[in-house]
Amino acid sequence: MPQLEIVDLKAAYEKLVVLEKINLNVEKGEIVSLIGPSGSGKSTLLRVLIGLLPPVAGRVRLDENDIDYANKATLRMLRDRIAIVFQQYNLFQNMTVLQNVTIAPTKVKGRPVAEVTEEAKELLSKVGLADKFNAYPDELSGGQQQRVAIARALALRPEILLLDEVTSALDPELVNEVLDSIRLLAAEGMTMFIVSHEMGFVREVSSRVAFMSDGLIVEIGSPKVVFDAPTIERTKDFVGKILRH
Amino acid sequence: MNYTLQFGQVTEFLPYLAGGAWLSLQIAFLAFCGGMVIGAFGAMAKTFGGRVVRGITAAYITFFMNTPQLVQIFFIYFALPDAGILLSSYEAVLIGMTLNAGAYLTEIQRAGFQSVHRNEMEAAETLGMSLLQRVRYVIMPHIAKVLFPPLSNQYILMTLGTSMAAIFGVEELTGRAFNINAETFRSIEVFSITAVFYIALTLVASMSLGLAGRYLFRAKMRLI
Ligand SMILES: Nc1ncnc2c1ncn2[C@@H]1O[C@H](COP(=O)(O)OP(=O)(O)OP(=O)(O)O)[C@@H](O)[C@H]1O
Ligand SMILES: [Mg+2]
Repeated sequence: MPQLEIVDLKAAYEKLVVLEKINLNVEKGEIVSLIGPSGSGKSTLLRVLIGLLPPVAGRVRLDENDIDYANKATLRMLRDRIAIVFQQYNLFQNMTVLQNVTIAPTKVKGRPVAEVTEEAKELLSKVGLADKFNAYPDELSGGQQQRVAIARALALRPEILLLDEVTSALDPELVNEVLDSIRLLAAEGMTMFIVSHEMGFVREVSSRVAFMSDGLIVEIGSPKVVFDAPTIERTKDFVGKILRH
Repeated sequence: MNYTLQFGQVTEFLPYLAGGAWLSLQIAFLAFCGGMVIGAFGAMAKTFGGRVVRGITAAYITFFMNTPQLVQIFFIYFALPDAGILLSSYEAVLIGMTLNAGAYLTEIQRAGFQSVHRNEMEAAETLGMSLLQRVRYVIMPHIAKVLFPPLSNQYILMTLGTSMAAIFGVEELTGRAFNINAETFRSIEVFSITAVFYIALTLVASMSLGLAGRYLFRAKMRLI
């Protein structure tokens, strides 16, 4: 039984249809990477899943329950279970690192402050920020901010984590520290959707790689198949182009 | 020049001047608070209002930002009685300054509304925060921080602006300085002491606002 089922999902910005018809099943603990050219709809798919953009048609099922994206209560439940990390981190600038991580568990879930704080400190230490609890986001490097964003997402104890190009705003020397944090999560069995241009990383951590083009998943398979022996012409072109870089 | 400075004659008026300074402070504070309320509604009207509401707000702002404040108060003090509205000079000054401040504070607060990062709001949403929580934890602190420096500046300007009240016979700091000057003819002494009072008023205001800003919002504000 798949943890997440995406069935004939269609999404649009106003009249511009961006996701045509997405079908995808994800098992618990799987890491699915989305690759594809700019504008193919990778970010949009993640935005639909987390409920920032309501789908036009199709269904998303979580543990065999249909998600009604128009229903606020369902959305709240959904955001308990799925978390997203953005390319631009989007930390709350007026809060310290620790406050960024604790605000949702305490204010949204109403959990005790002491317990949440303890847990937040553990999470932050895990991503290597044990000495930055009281720093403000603008006092951190991009890589550090991104790791705070990851800790913030994890503080809600999500079952599924969506990562949208979390390293592409970072200087090359900062990329690895963030990737290490993700590797750690992968080893712990977190279900993840990863949109990334780091092809070496994608190949290493993914259970499956989905190649998207023009709002469709054109090809999906193990990293080995998609990178080394793609069956579809468009995938070949894309993979060929990136790997030559 | 054979003018001999004689502060002795003027120093006996210090408590009298201090009383005037206190009144100046009051006028500035009241007008600022009133202006903040008008400004909050104005900013909401301009940001979220329909065409008519936005038009009315724009007309109000255009009028008060493009005519001298002195003329505005003259109008309230001398023209309104013809329409049956009688105001004391203190009331006229206070109302004039409040309306004027309202226009400037509308523009300042509107800029705050627009500066909220869509990204942070989205992140808050994906963390499950309700709209109310987003306003409370993301929008408000952000607006407060962005607006704190320009609001402080506006407050300082208004403190100095209260001297206009003297023209209408209000006995605030400048008004009382006129009075002492008329009695003693010690113009240099009187007005230099008055200047020191104004400097003290604005320095104390800007330093305490600056400290408050640093403490509350980590705003990198200069104290002077
Ligand atoms: N907020 C928006 N309003 C309107 N159109 C949008 C919006 N965001 C994205 N689009 C359009 O939707 C399409 C898919 O965008 P999306 O961001 O999902 O692509 P992507 O695969 O993530 O690309 P990239 O690799 O550049 O991030 C693009 O044509 C884009 O112009
Ligand atoms: Mg994208």
